[in-house]
Amino acid sequence: MSYLNDNQEGSVHLLMGNEAIVRGALEAGMRVAAGYPGTPSSEIIEAFSKVARERNIYAEWSTNEKVALEVSAAASFAGLRTMCVMKQNGVNVASDFLLHLASSGTRGGMVLVACDDPGALSSVNEGESRIFARLVEVPLLEPGDLQEAKDITKWAFELSEELRNLVMVRSVTRMSHASGNVTYGKLPNTEALADFKCDGPMFDPDRGPMISMIVGAADLQHGPQQEKIRKAARLFEECPFNTYRGPEKPELLIITSSACNLYSREAVRLLGAEDRVGILKLATTWPLPPKLIMKNLARTDKVLIVEEVLPVLEEQVKILAAEMAAEIGPTRFFGKNAGNIPSVGELNPDIVIEALSSILDIPYTNVSDSFDDAARELARKAAPNRGLTFCPGCPHRASLWSIHNALELDGRKGFVCGDIGCYVFGTLPSGFSTVKTLHSMGSGTGIASGFAKLGQFGMDQPVISLCGDSTFFHAAMPALANAVHQKSPLTMVILDNNGTAMTGFQPHPGSPNNVLGEEMPAVDIEAICRAMGALVEIQDPFDIEETQEAFHRLIEHDEGAKVLILRQACALSPERRHTKNFEVEIDEEICLGENCGCNRLCTRIFGCPGIVWDKEKGVSRIDELICVGCGVCADICPAGAIKKKEVA
Amino acid sequence: MKTSALQRDPYNVIITGVGGQGNVMASRILGSMLVSKGYFVTIGETFGPSQRGGSVMSHLRISGESSWSPQIPAHRADLIASLEPAEAVRVMAQYGNPDVHILCNTRPIYPVPVIRGEEEYPSVEDIKISLKSLASHTFFIDATEEAQKLGNTIFANIILLGAIYGTHLLPLEREDFVEAISQRFRQDQIEINLTAFDRGCELLAR
Amino acid sequence: MNIYGSRELCSDVIGKQLCIGCGACIDLCPYFRSYKGKTAMLFPCSLEQGRCFAYCPKIEVNLDELSQQLFGHPYDGHPLGEHISIGMSRAGEKAGTGSYQAGGTVSALMQYALLRGHCDAAVVTDREGLLPVPRFVTKPDEVLACASSKYTAAPTLSALHDAMKKGYSRIGMVGTPCQVLATAQLRSNPMKDEAFHDPTGLVVGLFCTWALDYRAFESFISARVDRNSIEKIDIPPPPSEIMEVFMTGGDKIEFPLNEIRKLVPESCSYCIDMTSEFSDISVGVMEGRPEMNSLIVRTERGRRIVEEAQREGYLILSDMPRENLEHLVWAAGNKKKRALLKATEEGIVNTAGEDRRSYLRINGGTLKKCIA
Repeated sequence: MSYLNDNQEGSVHLLMGNEAIVRGALEAGMRVAAGYPGTPSSEIIEAFSKVARERNIYAEWSTNEKVALEVSAAASFAGLRTMCVMKQNGVNVASDFLLHLASSGTRGGMVLVACDDPGALSSVNEGESRIFARLVEVPLLEPGDLQEAKDITKWAFELSEELRNLVMVRSVTRMSHASGNVTYGKLPNTEALADFKCDGPMFDPDRGPMISMIVGAADLQHGPQQEKIRKAARLFEECPFNTYRGPEKPELLIITSSACNLYSREAVRLLGAEDRVGILKLATTWPLPPKLIMKNLARTDKVLIVEEVLPVLEEQVKILAAEMAAEIGPTRFFGKNAGNIPSVGELNPDIVIEALSSILDIPYTNVSDSFDDAARELARKAAPNRGLTFCPGCPHRASLWSIHNALELDGRKGFVCGDIGCYVFGTLPSGFSTVKTLHSMGSGTGIASGFAKLGQFGMDQPVISLCGDSTFFHAAMPALANAVHQKSPLTMVILDNNGTAMTGFQPHPGSPNNVLGEEMPAVDIEAICRAMGALVEIQDPFDIEETQEAFHRLIEHDEGAKVLILRQACALSPERRHTKNFEVEIDEEICLGENCGCNRLCTRIFGCPGIVWDKEKGVSRIDELICVGCGVCADICPAGAIKKKEVA
Repeated sequence: MKTSALQRDPYNVIITGVGGQGNVMASRILGSMLVSKGYFVTIGETFGPSQRGGSVMSHLRISGESSWSPQIPAHRADLIASLEPAEAVRVMAQYGNPDVHILCNTRPIYPVPVIRGEEEYPSVEDIKISLKSLASHTFFIDATEEAQKLGNTIFANIILLGAIYGTHLLPLEREDFVEAISQRFRQDQIEINLTAFDRGCELLAR
Repeated sequence: MNIYGSRELCSDVIGKQLCIGCGACIDLCPYFRSYKGKTAMLFPCSLEQGRCFAYCPKIEVNLDELSQQLFGHPYDGHPLGEHISIGMSRAGEKAGTGSYQAGGTVSALMQYALLRGHCDAAVVTDREGLLPVPRFVTKPDEVLACASSKYTAAPTLSALHDAMKKGYSRIGMVGTPCQVLATAQLRSNPMKDEAFHDPTGLVVGLFCTWALDYRAFESFISARVDRNSIEKIDIPPPPSEIMEVFMTGGDKIEFPLNEIRKLVPESCSYCIDMTSEFSDISVGVMEGRPEMNSLIVRTERGRRIVEEAQREGYLILSDMPRENLEHLVWAAGNKKKRALLKATEEGIVNTAGEDRRSYLRINGGTLKKCIA
């Protein structure tokens, strides 16, 4: 990561979008960064941590996005430039504080980086963070390429200080995780002094207390906040990041932002329509600068709006167009509302090509039908699906095996409310289809708390919730407190693999270290649960017999909330990677394959990728390159054909 | 701005394989080799669940003019470099065309449904024949075997890079690779990676 | 015999509340397991036919086929089943003293069979607190340790499967009528396995009018006594109408049987067999004679073992008084008639048509005779 620290102004580097954002912050002299892991944003805090020492930066993985935003706000109140980072769902979590922060305003430049995931490539929902900017009334910027990811981020800090409010910078997967040429600017010096001036009078922006609002005094605070937005709109009229490319009077105007800018440019070029189509790329997508919009809308009466995911820009532009119609005439709009651009999923050049091709009546083929058919037919036969499953040696597979089997044996139709983490696969066959509800961080335990109180209405099924160690701190604790206090007899299973595994194994408050690698006090999950008053047991999920017995014990215990902590290291964690507990192999003499009568339990049901069905020999075997030696499969083979030997 | 010595502008390369094969590292190294020669490079990648043994693709747009979309438009790949045979087939269906060049590692990685005995994996020979019939040029190498000879299958991605260089489809020199890895790897790792790179190039010369 | 697989077992038996938890399907494979008396299928198995279905005594039981195999003629519907002799018995001096029930005949028989090598293992039902736990034993004195009666249904056949897996080939079985029926199905080699040979050395059946659902019983008892202090449970023979619970410390608590009968699973009302008709020897209580057993000898190997046991002082035999015999015949015939009527009414006897699976198959003439 030392290349992020490179002080050669003008040097060109291949950077990932997230790295470009980091570089922009470094060039702006940012000092404090806080966030919570979430794809596609996680690399940002990690990159800050790698240059933290040299650049005099404090970087932190906070307990959740709300706390991260609060931590970041503190730095801003103390006059430091600061950045807060999260994926789009994190904005939902932080939104209450975000609303209040936008009202109190900020001091040191503060940038909220929200990384959306159109198409839900790494999320369990397809959300949209841009609307929050309008909802809480802070300016919104969207970089349109990798260079802008750096330049706009740097500018965002200046803009924030000019407006005295935080600025939201919105990225998407195809920006954050794409890489491209970025030309570096200068790095400033790294001295900084934190000083929270709060002894001045109320409403003094430089020295007064930082208060969201005095009760009943909406016009005293909300008024000035809205004035900041009007000022931003004026500044945006001259923003060099809003660009127009194309003929003076095009036949069709594309209005776009973010990665859609790149798709639109590509589509226009492939169709050879450069002389018919102009592209207005907006970097300042809220508030829209009305004069700039009017000037461009006046070029033509046909406008195509290309954006993802919700028609946020589209609706804003249409409002302005309606207001300006008397001056510039009516506009015919193409976009999501008219069905030219899909309402769901991420965009790509081909989607824009199709829209343009139809609007402008330009035919387009990329390959002949015969090639297309032949290639698809080949893929149908020769490119089998790669299913989603747990890693070899994943403790969640073992945990869900025990939970699933115990629930079947218990026979009272118990079910599991799931949560966010790798164990979302518990909803699929790879997790034995055990998880029956799945929503947001911490929601599993809250929902379970509700279900377990429905005994009054005749519901007598055992209710289980599932969450990870990071999720426990993020959001599940209040739900557990609720269950204990309301005497809701749920069984909460905490899958503790000592890290935030799904997003790349970041630390959390229960970890013994922080993102900077320093030793930190680990908050004790078990002690918290006991202190709340839950009945707590701890097991190793790799010991499936003990785990199942403990689970039966707890779900048969009628009263109060119970917690079962299943503690075992993630197979990809630094402590487990490249180490094997056992050497595992299958005795070919004992494995009877299809003749066993077990109906291939190991490969068909258990499904660890380390167990391979050898079609020729008709037996199962262990692939030593994939197997990580957890030894669990040895305990599930009914014939005892799988042998495990402890590694010294 | 570089005067283009590219066969096409932008020149579209897809490096594909299975999560964990070092796909991302290969695309970054290749990308930075070209950036250092003055080209605009845009790389698009899919992370996330792909890491858990799923299909991964890196799209590289190489241009003398500007940056482009991180996703290559359908059927517009110029070179498909694959670390796994079935992935080459998968990418062909979406991004291939009669002019495409294919460079493919012949060692299969069986998908989970196949190792569970639920689906069939085709024969590599059949894949080779089919790809040959669709693409303009095909090169097949056993990068995994060569990597095992060097001590670790992870070197297959560097061997693939060497082979890409060996096709001479891109305006690259060996020195570009030396430069790129000197920034990325520790001193004690440089030599083995150079050996892997050279091996890949040799495999193409055959 | 029409054999199907686990899917049909689930839909036709478990799904229709016919499962009695006898253990015939348990531990043959990794999919069927028993927990606290209830049978559960852990995962779906895709095999079309299985031993689980074939051995189950509550589906596709062909009485004529079974009777033909074990006794050499079709099922004739006698209330007490095939028999060579009917009498009374109790344990002899040589049989050890233990906390056995009633006349102690079953324990004595099993001890003797193990001692003299008629059996190399014996499947008995042990107890952990209230929960019956099937196991197999190999030494005579281990039989005594499991000698008390258990009134809740238990997956006893899982221990038979276990003993078979461990290589025992002359296994003794003690079971209730449904368990004995399942054993008979197993012995008939329904899967036509060429390498099969009868793994049993002696099958001792018990008399049974009903069993109790374990979970319901546990719930009932735990609400009324301290379950951890229960020494022994007994249901004395008629005319007594109580269940006696003996506590450590000497207390005895009684429950009226009409309360206990509410804990009987639905499945028992379909059972046509009071005396374990497919055993070698059947043993029951004697009405009015709490220190004696009823003894029915059905097969040659059963007869031989009883004779030898008597000669060596392990059993004391006597004749059964006429009134007792008549009453036994009446009671058994009544159970058979009630169950057959109920099952016939519900259309699960001799169900015809493709893919229509039947609870029981019995020749028409015998059926008519039994329900007359």
